[in-house]
Amino acid sequence: MPPTRRNPGNAPTGAAGTAVDAKGTTQPPANNTPPVAQRPSAAPAPALDLNSLKERLKDTRAIGLFTKLSLKNQVDDLLSQLRAFHAKKSTSSLADLRQRYDLLLLKVLSLLQDGDPPLATAISQSRDSIWGILSDPQQFAKL
Amino acid sequence: MGRWKSALALTAVVLSYAAVVAADDASMSKDLGATIALQGMPCDKVIASKRNGDSDYNATCKDGNRYHVFVDANGRVVVKKL
Repeated sequence: MPPTRRNPGNAPTGAAGTAVDAKGTTQPPANNTPPVAQRPSAAPAPALDLNSLKERLKDTRAIGLFTKLSLKNQVDDLLSQLRAFHAKKSTSSLADLRQRYDLLLLKVLSLLQDGDPPLATAISQSRDSIWGILSDPQQFAKL
Repeated sequence: MGRWKSALALTAVVLSYAAVVAADDASMSKDLGATIALQGMPCDKVIASKRNGDSDYNATCKDGNRYHVFVDANGRVVVKKL
Protein backbone atom coordinates (compact mmCIF):
# COMPACT_ATOMS: atom_id res chain seq x y z
CA MET A 1 0.00 0.00 0.00
CA PRO A 2 1.53 3.35 -1.05
CA PRO A 3 1.92 6.03 1.57
CA THR A 4 -0.92 8.52 1.61
CA ARG A 5 -0.12 11.95 0.18
CA ARG A 6 -2.58 13.72 2.44
CA ASN A 7 -3.08 12.80 6.03
CA PRO A 8 -6.66 13.61 7.08
CA GLY A 9 -5.78 14.06 10.71
CA ASN A 10 -2.74 16.26 9.92
CA ALA A 11 -0.74 13.77 11.89
CA PRO A 12 2.94 14.40 11.25
CA THR A 13 4.02 10.86 11.88
CA GLY A 14 3.10 7.51 10.43
CA ALA A 15 2.86 4.26 12.31
CA ALA A 16 5.40 3.47 15.00
CA GLY A 17 6.88 6.94 14.99
CA THR A 18 7.89 6.99 11.32
CA ALA A 19 7.78 10.43 9.71
CA VAL A 20 5.96 11.14 6.45
CA ASP A 21 7.63 13.90 4.45
CA ALA A 22 6.07 16.30 1.96
CA LYS A 23 6.59 13.89 -0.92
CA GLY A 24 4.78 11.17 0.95
CA THR A 25 7.80 8.99 1.48
CA THR A 26 8.24 7.40 4.84
CA GLN A 27 11.37 8.30 6.77
CA PRO A 28 12.69 6.39 9.74
CA PRO A 29 12.80 8.48 12.91
CA ALA A 30 16.18 10.02 13.72
CA ASN A 31 15.63 9.12 17.34
CA ASN A 32 12.73 8.34 19.63
CA THR A 33 12.57 11.74 21.31
CA PRO A 34 10.18 14.34 19.91
CA PRO A 35 11.58 17.66 18.69
CA VAL A 36 12.33 20.14 21.45
CA ALA A 37 9.52 22.47 20.39
CA GLN A 38 6.93 19.72 20.86
CA ARG A 39 8.25 18.50 24.19
CA PRO A 40 5.79 19.15 26.99
CA SER A 41 7.18 21.56 29.51
CA ALA A 42 6.06 23.55 32.54
CA ALA A 43 3.45 26.22 31.70
CA PRO A 44 5.18 29.50 30.92
CA ALA A 45 4.38 32.54 33.03
CA PRO A 46 1.41 34.36 31.49
CA ALA A 47 2.26 37.55 29.64
CA LEU A 48 1.48 40.59 31.75
CA ASP A 49 -1.52 42.55 30.54
CA LEU A 50 -1.63 45.51 32.88
CA ASN A 51 -4.66 47.11 31.20
CA SER A 52 -6.67 43.91 31.43
CA LEU A 53 -5.84 43.56 35.14
CA LYS A 54 -6.82 47.20 35.68
CA GLU A 55 -10.16 46.67 33.95
CA ARG A 56 -10.84 43.47 35.88
CA LEU A 57 -10.07 45.28 39.12
CA LYS A 58 -12.43 48.10 38.14
CA ASP A 59 -15.19 45.68 37.19
CA THR A 60 -14.93 43.16 40.01
CA ARG A 61 -17.87 42.98 42.38
CA ALA A 62 -15.71 41.58 45.15
CA ILE A 63 -14.71 45.10 46.22
CA GLY A 64 -17.12 47.94 46.96
CA LEU A 65 -16.88 51.42 45.42
CA PHE A 66 -15.46 53.16 48.51
CA THR A 67 -12.84 50.45 48.86
CA LYS A 68 -11.91 50.67 45.17
CA LEU A 69 -11.53 54.43 45.39
CA SER A 70 -9.49 54.08 48.57
CA LEU A 71 -7.21 51.55 46.87
CA LYS A 72 -6.89 53.82 43.84
CA ASN A 73 -5.79 56.67 46.16
CA GLN A 74 -3.11 54.43 47.62
CA VAL A 75 -1.96 53.22 44.18
CA ASP A 76 -1.74 56.85 43.02
CA ASP A 77 0.29 57.73 46.14
CA LEU A 78 2.73 54.90 45.44
CA LEU A 79 3.03 55.94 41.78
CA SER A 80 3.83 59.50 42.91
CA GLN A 81 6.53 58.18 45.24
CA LEU A 82 7.99 56.05 42.43
CA ARG A 83 7.89 59.03 40.06
CA ALA A 84 9.81 61.08 42.63
CA PHE A 85 12.28 58.21 43.09
CA HIS A 86 12.96 57.94 39.35
CA ALA A 87 13.36 61.72 39.19
CA LYS A 88 15.90 61.42 42.04
CA LYS A 89 13.73 63.70 44.16
CA SER A 90 12.90 61.13 46.82
CA THR A 91 14.52 60.19 50.10
CA SER A 92 12.91 56.73 49.95
CA SER A 93 15.02 53.83 48.75
CA LEU A 94 13.85 51.32 46.16
CA ALA A 95 13.67 48.71 48.94
CA ASP A 96 11.27 50.98 50.89
CA LEU A 97 9.10 51.42 47.84
CA ARG A 98 9.11 47.68 47.17
CA GLN A 99 7.92 47.15 50.74
CA ARG A 100 5.07 49.62 50.22
CA TYR A 101 4.20 47.94 46.92
CA ASP A 102 4.13 44.51 48.58
CA LEU A 103 1.93 45.82 51.39
CA LEU A 104 -0.50 47.40 48.94
CA LEU A 105 -0.64 44.22 46.88
CA LEU A 106 -1.33 42.22 50.03
CA LYS A 107 -4.27 44.51 50.81
CA VAL A 108 -5.64 44.01 47.30
CA LEU A 109 -5.19 40.25 47.47
CA SER A 110 -6.84 39.99 50.89
CA LEU A 111 -9.83 41.93 49.55
CA LEU A 112 -10.10 39.75 46.45
CA GLN A 113 -9.24 36.28 47.66
CA ASP A 114 -12.76 35.36 48.76
CA GLY A 115 -14.87 37.31 46.29
CA ASP A 116 -12.82 36.97 43.09
CA PRO A 117 -10.19 34.23 43.45
CA PRO A 118 -9.27 34.13 39.71
CA LEU A 119 -8.41 37.84 39.75
CA ALA A 120 -6.49 37.43 43.01
CA THR A 121 -4.46 34.62 41.39
CA ALA A 122 -3.83 36.67 38.24
CA ILE A 123 -2.59 39.63 40.26
CA SER A 124 -0.49 37.43 42.51
CA GLN A 125 1.16 35.80 39.47
CA SER A 126 1.89 39.23 37.99
CA ARG A 127 3.41 40.65 41.18
CA ASP A 128 7.04 40.52 40.01
CA SER A 129 6.26 41.55 36.43
CA ILE A 130 4.41 44.64 37.66
CA TRP A 131 7.27 45.54 39.99
CA GLY A 132 9.65 45.06 37.06
CA ILE A 133 7.77 47.79 35.19
CA LEU A 134 7.46 50.11 38.20
CA SER A 135 11.12 49.88 39.17
CA ASP A 136 12.47 50.40 35.67
CA PRO A 137 12.62 54.13 34.83
CA GLN A 138 12.17 53.59 31.07
CA GLN A 139 9.17 51.27 31.45
CA PHE A 140 7.70 53.42 34.23
CA ALA A 141 7.86 56.50 32.00
CA LYS A 142 5.68 54.70 29.43
CA LEU A 143 2.86 54.04 31.92
CA MET B 1 -58.61 32.21 44.63
CA GLY B 2 -57.46 35.14 42.49
CA ARG B 3 -57.11 37.30 45.61
CA TRP B 4 -54.94 34.67 47.28
CA LYS B 5 -52.71 34.53 44.25
CA SER B 6 -52.40 38.31 44.21
CA ALA B 7 -51.63 38.40 47.93
CA LEU B 8 -48.97 35.71 47.53
CA ALA B 9 -47.40 37.53 44.57
CA LEU B 10 -47.37 40.81 46.52
CA THR B 11 -45.76 39.09 49.53
CA ALA B 12 -43.12 37.57 47.27
CA VAL B 13 -42.34 40.98 45.75
CA VAL B 14 -42.11 42.64 49.19
CA LEU B 15 -39.89 39.85 50.53
CA SER B 16 -37.57 39.93 47.53
CA TYR B 17 -37.34 43.74 47.77
CA ALA B 18 -36.50 43.41 51.47
CA ALA B 19 -33.85 40.83 50.59
CA VAL B 20 -32.32 43.17 48.00
CA VAL B 21 -32.28 46.07 50.50
CA ALA B 22 -30.71 43.83 53.16
CA ALA B 23 -28.06 42.64 50.68
CA ASP B 24 -27.33 46.25 49.70
CA ASP B 25 -26.98 47.21 53.38
CA ALA B 26 -24.68 44.26 53.99
CA SER B 27 -22.49 45.07 51.00
CA MET B 28 -22.37 48.76 51.99
CA SER B 29 -21.34 47.81 55.54
CA LYS B 30 -18.68 45.50 54.15
CA ASP B 31 -17.46 48.25 51.82
CA LEU B 32 -17.28 50.79 54.65
CA GLY B 33 -15.55 48.26 56.94
CA ALA B 34 -12.90 47.51 54.29
CA THR B 35 -12.40 51.23 53.64
CA ILE B 36 -11.90 51.97 57.34
CA ALA B 37 -9.45 49.07 57.63
CA LEU B 38 -7.54 50.27 54.52
CA GLN B 39 -6.97 53.60 56.28
CA GLY B 40 -5.49 51.70 59.20
CA MET B 41 -8.32 52.48 61.62
CA PRO B 42 -9.74 49.86 63.99
CA CYS B 43 -13.16 48.43 63.16
CA ASP B 44 -13.99 44.76 63.55
CA LYS B 45 -17.33 44.99 61.76
CA VAL B 46 -19.66 47.77 60.66
CA ILE B 47 -23.02 47.16 62.32
CA ALA B 48 -24.80 50.34 61.24
CA SER B 49 -24.36 53.06 58.67
CA LYS B 50 -26.16 56.28 57.92
CA ARG B 51 -26.03 57.98 54.57
CA ASN B 52 -25.39 61.72 54.86
CA GLY B 53 -25.23 62.38 51.15
CA ASP B 54 -23.48 61.25 47.97
CA SER B 55 -20.41 59.22 48.95
CA ASP B 56 -20.80 60.38 52.54
CA TYR B 57 -21.59 57.99 55.39
CA ASN B 58 -21.37 57.65 59.14
CA ALA B 59 -20.41 54.14 60.17
CA THR B 60 -20.74 52.49 63.56
CA CYS B 61 -18.51 49.53 64.32
CA LYS B 62 -19.27 46.60 66.58
CA ASP B 63 -16.41 47.66 68.90
CA GLY B 64 -18.11 51.06 69.44
CA ASN B 65 -15.90 53.12 67.14
CA ARG B 66 -17.74 55.56 64.90
CA TYR B 67 -16.38 57.06 61.69
CA HIS B 68 -17.26 59.64 59.10
CA VAL B 69 -16.37 58.18 55.68
CA PHE B 70 -16.56 60.46 52.68
CA VAL B 71 -14.94 61.42 49.40
CA ASP B 72 -13.36 64.88 49.45
CA ALA B 73 -13.19 67.40 46.61
CA ASN B 74 -9.91 65.89 45.38
CA GLY B 75 -11.49 62.45 45.00
CA ARG B 76 -9.75 61.04 48.05
CA VAL B 77 -11.54 58.77 50.49
CA VAL B 78 -11.32 60.30 53.97
CA VAL B 79 -12.06 58.42 57.18
CA LYS B 80 -12.46 60.59 60.29
CA LYS B 81 -13.04 59.22 63.76
CA LEU B 82 -16.17 60.67 65.38
